[in-house]
Amino acid sequence: MTTNIPIKSDPNTDIACRTPDMEERSLLRKVIDRIADRCRSRSLFILHYCTGCGAIELPPVITSRFDSERLGIQPMVTPRQADILLITGYLSVKTLKRVILTYEQMSAPKYVIGMGSCTINGGMYWHSYATIKRLQEYMPVDMYIAGCMPRPEAIQQGFLQLIDNIDKGQAIAWQDYYYQYDKYLGNQQALFGPDWHTPTDVIAEARHYELFSENTIGEHTALLAKFASKYVTLQCEELVK
Amino acid sequence: MSQQLPEVLASVFREIPNLVFEEQTARRLRVKLRPDALPALLELLKGRAGYLHLSAISCVDWPDTDEFELVYHLWSYEVKTLVSAHIYIPKKPGRYVSVYDIFTPAAFFERDIHEMFGVYFEGSPDMEPFILTEWFGPPPMLKSFSSLDYVEETFKWEQYSPDWLKEIEANGGGIVE
Ligand code: SF4
Repeated sequence: MTTNIPIKSDPNTDIACRTPDMEERSLLRKVIDRIADRCRSRSLFILHYCTGCGAIELPPVITSRFDSERLGIQPMVTPRQADILLITGYLSVKTLKRVILTYEQMSAPKYVIGMGSCTINGGMYWHSYATIKRLQEYMPVDMYIAGCMPRPEAIQQGFLQLIDNIDKGQAIAWQDYYYQYDKYLGNQQALFGPDWHTPTDVIAEARHYELFSENTIGEHTALLAKFASKYVTLQCEELVK
Repeated sequence: MSQQLPEVLASVFREIPNLVFEEQTARRLRVKLRPDALPALLELLKGRAGYLHLSAISCVDWPDTDEFELVYHLWSYEVKTLVSAHIYIPKKPGRYVSVYDIFTPAAFFERDIHEMFGVYFEGSPDMEPFILTEWFGPPPMLKSFSSLDYVEETFKWEQYSPDWLKEIEANGGGIVE
């Protein structure tokens, strides 16, 4: 594993290229990750998906009354530039589809907050044929804010907790989407039908992030080869096997 | 009964055979009529009494008599009385004519009723799914559709039964289905 990286330097000075040993390297990595996590936790952009009733509590949270900008949290208009996906309540099957498309467009690391009892276990809409019951079956959730609906103070508290989790490097639920993609895709297919797919090649992303595990592919992703070969071309032969 | 009715409305209703007044107040009129007479009633109301506004079509599923009740709510800015016209159609085959040619907004109401109750409207411009585009089950507003069973078999959820709830249930309280 030890490879010398040649350094172009003034030939007159004698700077040899030093090879850090593994322990040192992982230590270095830890320090850098720690700094990165800290910086990251101080500047977060939220994308709020406001189809649930809890959305009405967000304006005071974000604007001058409770002012989440104090915490470094600002609203963002597009998924590709946001860190946090805030789901403010019940999701119908139809909106869940859009949420998944949105979630997959966000760049990692990304955090999902489920706000209100509806995202936790169906809440007041448990009896409804149209709404999903548990958000975490379809995408990894970092944090739930309980309440129906949670007060702005509770949301603020949730933000603080998330900031703390990110700072400590514990908010890593997004990695689970790559590790367990087959499970998530299976749950999505159970609602949308076997031909459900998104334009995102999650399996290739998992490889890219080195988050590929044996649970990333499975019987559900095998269906992608059949219905979504346009999007997952690279993995097709592999999936069919 | 029809003495207090504005003359223009009374003249419309005189032309429709087998029309029954079910309820009548100053601003509301509820009439029941035979399904085949409904388009004629709508035409007459629109043409003579200024009923330009079809504010809604609602549907009721009556499992006992195996019928659908369709209610057409109409409003006139001149007469200022809401007319609700009730008709009953058999559940099988569950077909009725569209009134799209009389009131264009009917297209949306009919499309909605079609996906929620399965009533087919002949002549309606679009009977494609409207709201339930990710739906594989039966029309969900039918009385025979059990939302509870559907939820149990379709969605993943967690059984939640904390100790404090058990205590309440032991005393006869708790969640009532
Ligand atoms: S948890 Fe309550 S406030 Fe939030 S979406 Fe559900 S019903 Fe509405």
